[in-house]
Amino acid sequence: MSHYLFVQSQDTFTETRAAGQYQLAGQLREAGHDVTLVLVQNGVTPARRHAQCRHFDQLLQQGVHVIADDFSLRQREIDSSELKDSVAVGTVEAVIDAMLAGHKVIWN
Amino acid sequence: MNHSHSKDSHSKESKTLTFAFMDPPFESERTVTFFRLLDTALEKGANVRIFAYEGAVALAFARQQPHGNSVHGRDSNAENHPLTRDWIAALQQKAVARELGFEWINCGLCVDERGVNEVIAGCGRGGPPDLWRYASEAFNTLTIGTR
Amino acid sequence: MKVLQVIDQAFRTTTEEQDDTIIWLTRSMRSAGGELMLLLSGHGVHYAVQRRRQPALALGAWHQTEPAEITRDLAGLVDSGVPVYAVEEDLADRGLAHLPLQNGVRGISRQGLATLYDSADQIWHW
Repeated sequence: MSHYLFVQSQDTFTETRAAGQYQLAGQLREAGHDVTLVLVQNGVTPARRHAQCRHFDQLLQQGVHVIADDFSLRQREIDSSELKDSVAVGTVEAVIDAMLAGHKVIWN
Repeated sequence: MNHSHSKDSHSKESKTLTFAFMDPPFESERTVTFFRLLDTALEKGANVRIFAYEGAVALAFARQQPHGNSVHGRDSNAENHPLTRDWIAALQQKAVARELGFEWINCGLCVDERGVNEVIAGCGRGGPPDLWRYASEAFNTLTIGTR
Repeated sequence: MKVLQVIDQAFRTTTEEQDDTIIWLTRSMRSAGGELMLLLSGHGVHYAVQRRRQPALALGAWHQTEPAEITRDLAGLVDSGVPVYAVEEDLADRGLAHLPLQNGVRGISRQGLATLYDSADQIWHW
């Protein structure tokens, strides 16, 4: 089993590519790997409760760990209580921790 | 799995992380996230090496100047405009205080074509072999592309 | 250390830099001994089916004399030992599936990406 962490800056509202990125993360999870997404910048927008993004929601159902960057959330005035279930609040510290643990860390 | 270095988490030596970045200052939110990652890496006790490619070679340009902002109603002093050369300097100082390495190489061809040859102290010039060297010698590497 | 380079954009730099700067970077690192693979995805798949040199730009009296040659650059990369893959579904989405892959580029399905990613020690997404 490998460990992947995607720094997810892209979102499907802005870039169609993001749906494919979510799907790849889900594929890796389905293949038995540990997968985490750290949402940064506009990447946090699908994490807001009631945001319409089925590809993102599927990731949550697939057991991909999703962390929304606190700084990005505060910029967009998204309180932690306004996030979808299973989305944790964190910081870019999670990215560095993954790098220091030897995980495959990929910027989207 | 990166085989070039031991992943012994009990090693007393600090690990080195390499970052490659491409965005110039003032154009993208990615620049802010990038610097936050560098700061956090130092905070976590890692040595940091940066390969600045394309527009990112302007991040260390020594001639960046702050300015006032009449729309904000502030003069230059009051506006205290962020400059990425100051961010780099602050991280250099943080690294020194923590006895960590902080190395910054600009891609030389990218520097030449942009004319940003004057860089702040501590930032150097190199090329793709340096990115490969940095990455090969590092514990891990993160590349942040531009759009 | 084996690195998978991922390109999902195209034509961003081909006029001003007279190449794709990530293909160029990959070739340079290969020359420095890097063990690399290249994945063309998204709009990057256009490069996999390119057959002609890029058009030369003209602005006023200024005329470009050395427009990018993506076909040459990809061929050089493959010849240097860098496997180059193009995502088949991305080709199909863009109406490019009927065109032959050029210069030794190999097709890969989206389903195959997980295996490709896992074969690399690091993935550098530009």
